[in-house]
Amino acid sequence: MRRKPILPRVWHFASFGAPGVLIYLCFVMAPILISFGYSLTNHNPFNPPSEFVGFENYKLLFQDEQFLTALWVTTILTVIVVVVPNVLGLGVALLLDRKGWLYNALRSVFFTPVILSSVVVSIIWTKLLDDRGPVNDFLRAIGVDHPPGWLSDPDLALYSVASIVCWQMLGFCVVVYLAGLQGVPAELLEAAEIDGAGPVRRFRAVTWPLLAPSLTINTVVLLISAFKTYDYVKVVTNGGPGSGTTATIAFNVLATGLDANHVGYASAMAVVMLVIVATLTTIVLRFLRLREVDL
Amino acid sequence: MTTVDGSRRSWLRPTVAILVSAIFFVPLYYVLVNVFKPGDRIAQEPASVPLPPTLTNIHAVLTRPDGLFWVSLANSMLVTLLSIIVLTVLSAMLGHYLARSAKRWTKVLALILLAGLMIPPQVILIPVTEVLRLTGMMATLQGLVLFNVGYYVPFGVFVFTGFIRGVPVELEEAALLDGANRMQVFWRIVFPLLRPATASVLIFLGVWIWNDFIDPLIILGPSQGTTVTTGIYRSIGQYQADLGSVFALMFLATLPVLIFYLALQKQFVKGLTGGATKG
Repeated sequence: MRRKPILPRVWHFASFGAPGVLIYLCFVMAPILISFGYSLTNHNPFNPPSEFVGFENYKLLFQDEQFLTALWVTTILTVIVVVVPNVLGLGVALLLDRKGWLYNALRSVFFTPVILSSVVVSIIWTKLLDDRGPVNDFLRAIGVDHPPGWLSDPDLALYSVASIVCWQMLGFCVVVYLAGLQGVPAELLEAAEIDGAGPVRRFRAVTWPLLAPSLTINTVVLLISAFKTYDYVKVVTNGGPGSGTTATIAFNVLATGLDANHVGYASAMAVVMLVIVATLTTIVLRFLRLREVDL
Repeated sequence: MTTVDGSRRSWLRPTVAILVSAIFFVPLYYVLVNVFKPGDRIAQEPASVPLPPTLTNIHAVLTRPDGLFWVSLANSMLVTLLSIIVLTVLSAMLGHYLARSAKRWTKVLALILLAGLMIPPQVILIPVTEVLRLTGMMATLQGLVLFNVGYYVPFGVFVFTGFIRGVPVELEEAALLDGANRMQVFWRIVFPLLRPATASVLIFLGVWIWNDFIDPLIILGPSQGTTVTTGIYRSIGQYQADLGSVFALMFLATLPVLIFYLALQKQFVKGLTGGATKG
């Protein structure tokens, strides 16, 4: 057993650990506690003093049409953004899982949107999907008389926003799946082939179980980023068209807290949001880890 | 594969791959060609190849009287560089503490930090603006840098801790016996061994912070200072009629990241997949 004197250990924390921990506590942990504190008041920085209202904000929240809509919008967006890039990403990864310059170049094509700012991506698609933009021009040119209002139709806008997020996230999933595919031993696939397994059977019995860690990381990353969706909504639709058809919870927190200054109420929203993300992430992580196999 | 099956349809995979990639590439193509096309032609023929190419749009953005592009570029550079340097130093050291200390409370601390990986910025931004206002750092670049450090330190720590566990303790003990202090041992012996982790942290945080929108939008405020992303956002309103300038601005703002990515492509993918295979 090694024995370390107590002084160096304290010193070790004070010099190596403390600076990072301190900033983290000040700018992440303390604000979470403050948010929770605010959520129990009717705090409004431009209308002090604030009063303690207990769980009143939370009670109101679940009767608030606008919040329930935001919850629904976030749910739909999250489901689409977790499922679509995962499925398409696996497909593209399987397609590009070959050596050679062509496949390397095509991988870069898919990865480029990942390194673009979501603001840039949002603006590109806003222009593309405009009622009189290139997409609808193209549709008219091939004979669609009344092309859809991708961003102006209240029934459609949410799906358009979700598609934009999917387009940007796809490359991330592709790269993670490609890395996973490299970890599948060729001997195992050859053995399965000799045993007479066709391509579908080989995929289901060998490749897919070994891709479990890739599925886990993709799902968790997509889940968290879908829940945070703010930039796309702010830039592409600003919550509309109509009332709140694309306003996510993340969007409503800042609209209520910073634009309308109802900090107490917005904080309650933020706390609910945090609880949902934490719960979902934990459940998904547990569930997906269970099916990961060791080689 | 040399099976009959493989050679008979060897054209199928590349064709499908190119086709799928081409469809995926359309939005990027749309920006690329229109950066080099005069404004009036963009609306009429958005998909045509810009022949002859023109630099009018880029020139217009670079020579704006208010210098929006240059100011934003300088702010983004400053915030990104300062943030990633401080983040690398602090998270490497904190990672060392977590990796080398086996106390129970270290595990608790590691968990608290890990939780930071999934906290949406919206949950903390409102109190953060008040903390910054109290300390007089609201609407300043150093306020934004400090927030970035706090918000992204969990990611840095997550990457560094794993790598430091792979460095033998004996190496450090030997150097300590030779009379070096812990700081010297860390920076001269351990840190140089962490190059892949440092590369991952610099690359990822560099791109995230450069591309960040919501934090600079709210912390730097509506009037004071813009980064490239908030600059783009603010100018789409006034540029509504001038698509050429919008595209040129987006292109110029993305160029640094694109060059960074192309130069470090291998590390990029390694960094991503390192995380993926560890789960």
